[in-house]
Amino acid sequence: MEASTTKKASKFNHGIIDCDVHQGVKSYDDLKPYMPRVWWDRLKAHNATLPFLMFRPIPLERNDAAPGNGLPSGSDPEFAKVDLLDRYNIERAILTGNLLSISAHNNPDYAAALASAFNDYTMDTWIPSDERWLGSIVVATQDPLLAAKEIDRLGSHPRVVQVLLTSASREPYGQRRYYPIYEAAARNNLVIGIHGGGEGDGINPSTTAAGYPTTNFERHNILAIHHMSQLNSIVCEGVFERFPTLKVAFIEGGLAWLPHLMWRMDKNFRAMRNEVPWLKYKPSEYILKHVRLTTQPIEEPDNKELVQMFQLMHAEKTVMFSTDYPHWDNDTPLFVLNKLPEEMRRRVAYENAAEMYQLQERGLLAGGVAK
Amino acid sequence: MTKHDVVGVEELEAGACKITTIEGKSIGVYYNGNEYYAIRNVCPHQQVELCKGKFTGTTLESKPHEYIYGREGEILTCPWHGWEFDVKTGKALVDPDRYRVKVYDVSIENNRVLVHMD
Repeated sequence: MEASTTKKASKFNHGIIDCDVHQGVKSYDDLKPYMPRVWWDRLKAHNATLPFLMFRPIPLERNDAAPGNGLPSGSDPEFAKVDLLDRYNIERAILTGNLLSISAHNNPDYAAALASAFNDYTMDTWIPSDERWLGSIVVATQDPLLAAKEIDRLGSHPRVVQVLLTSASREPYGQRRYYPIYEAAARNNLVIGIHGGGEGDGINPSTTAAGYPTTNFERHNILAIHHMSQLNSIVCEGVFERFPTLKVAFIEGGLAWLPHLMWRMDKNFRAMRNEVPWLKYKPSEYILKHVRLTTQPIEEPDNKELVQMFQLMHAEKTVMFSTDYPHWDNDTPLFVLNKLPEEMRRRVAYENAAEMYQLQERGLLAGGVAK
Repeated sequence: MTKHDVVGVEELEAGACKITTIEGKSIGVYYNGNEYYAIRNVCPHQQVELCKGKFTGTTLESKPHEYIYGREGEILTCPWHGWEFDVKTGKALVDPDRYRVKVYDVSIENNRVLVHMD
C-alpha cells in the first residue's frame, strides 16, 4: 500500500483492537496431523463436504491480500502481520478462522474433529507467531456436548478469549440444547462470538426466512436476520439469567438493526412478559449489559446518519471495531473510525473490546487502555 | 502538462495493467487490446489499490432476469468490495456523480506509452 495510507493510520493516538480477522490454512492437508486418520480422505473434498450453494461474483478472499507463492489469502501469519497489523497499527486482533460453515455439516463427528484440528493448527502456527494475535475456539454446534469438551480442552490457554459459533444453526441459540456450550464458556471465562456463516448451507435452515434467494447480492443484504434471530432467542429464553457472567459478541452481522430489535423487544415485553417470567429486566437492558457487535460490514449511510445510528444503539458501550481481513468486504480503520467523533471513536476502536474480552485483566494489552 | 514515459507498447499485453508511481501518485496503466488507459490507483471508497482489481466486462442495463454481457475490458472492479469503474471516464457504475477515480490522458509516441499529468 502507498505510504499515504500508513501516514493516515498513525493519526490515531490510541490503539486499535480488531475483533474479526480470518486466519486459514495453507492447505487442508495441514490439518492431518491434528485429525484421526479416519477423516483424512474427506479433507481433500473439503468444498464438497462443506457445501456453499451461492455463487459469489467477488471471491470471498481478497486477491490483493494473498501472501504469494500461490498461497490463499489469510494463510500466512507473517504476511498478515505486515499487511494488516503493522499497516494499520492494530494492537491486538482476534482471530476468527475460516471454518464458517462447520455447523452446517451433516456429520457431527467429522465437524467436531475438523474444528478441533483447526483450533490446534491455529494454536501451533498463528498464536505463537505474534503476541498481537488472540484466539477463538471454533466449535461445531451440531453436538453441544462435543463442543463443550473442545472448549474445556483449550479454554484455559492464556491467549484464547472467545468461543466461536456461526450465526446459522439448526435451532436458535437460546434453546436448552446449547447450554453445555454456555456452561463451558462461562467456566472458562470466554466470550461467546457469533459470526456469520453457514446460512442456508447443509443441514441449516434457509438463507432468508422466506426461502432461498437467487443472487449473492440478495443473500448478503439480508444476512443480519440470522444475527437478529439468535440475539432474540438468547435474550428471550433467559440465557443471561441462566449464565449471568456470559457475554456474547455478534460479529459481522451489521449494526443498524439493533435499535429496531431493542425497541420491538421492549414494547412486546410490556404486553407478553408473562410468557417469559424469568426475565427480570427489559430485553434491551440485557443487551446493553451482555451483548456487543462488531462494525464490519458497517452500513454506509452518510456520516451524520451513521453517528445518529451509533447513538441509537449506544455504540459507546455496544460497538467494537473489526476489519474482517482478508475478506472481500473488509473495512479499513481509516474508513470507519474516521467518521466518528473522538470520544465514540476511542470506545469503538479500543475500549469496548478491551472491556468485553477483559484484556487488561488478562494481561493482554500492550499499551493499556487508551491514553 | 508533463508527459511521463511509463512502458513500451510491446511490454504491456492486452488485459495487463502496470502500476507505477508518477509525481508521487500511484497510477495503473492498462491496455485492453485496443486502447491504453491511465487510472489513479486509489479506490474512492476505502482508498485501497484499485488497479490490483479485475479488468473485465459487465452486465449491461436490461429487463429483470435478462442478462446482457458487454463492455469487455472497459470495466475495472475493485479488489475489495467489487465496485465497478469505467476505465474511460473513471466514473463508478453506481453513483457516478458521487464516486469517480481520476483518469489521465495517454498517448503513444515512438512505441512508448506516455501518461499526461497536469
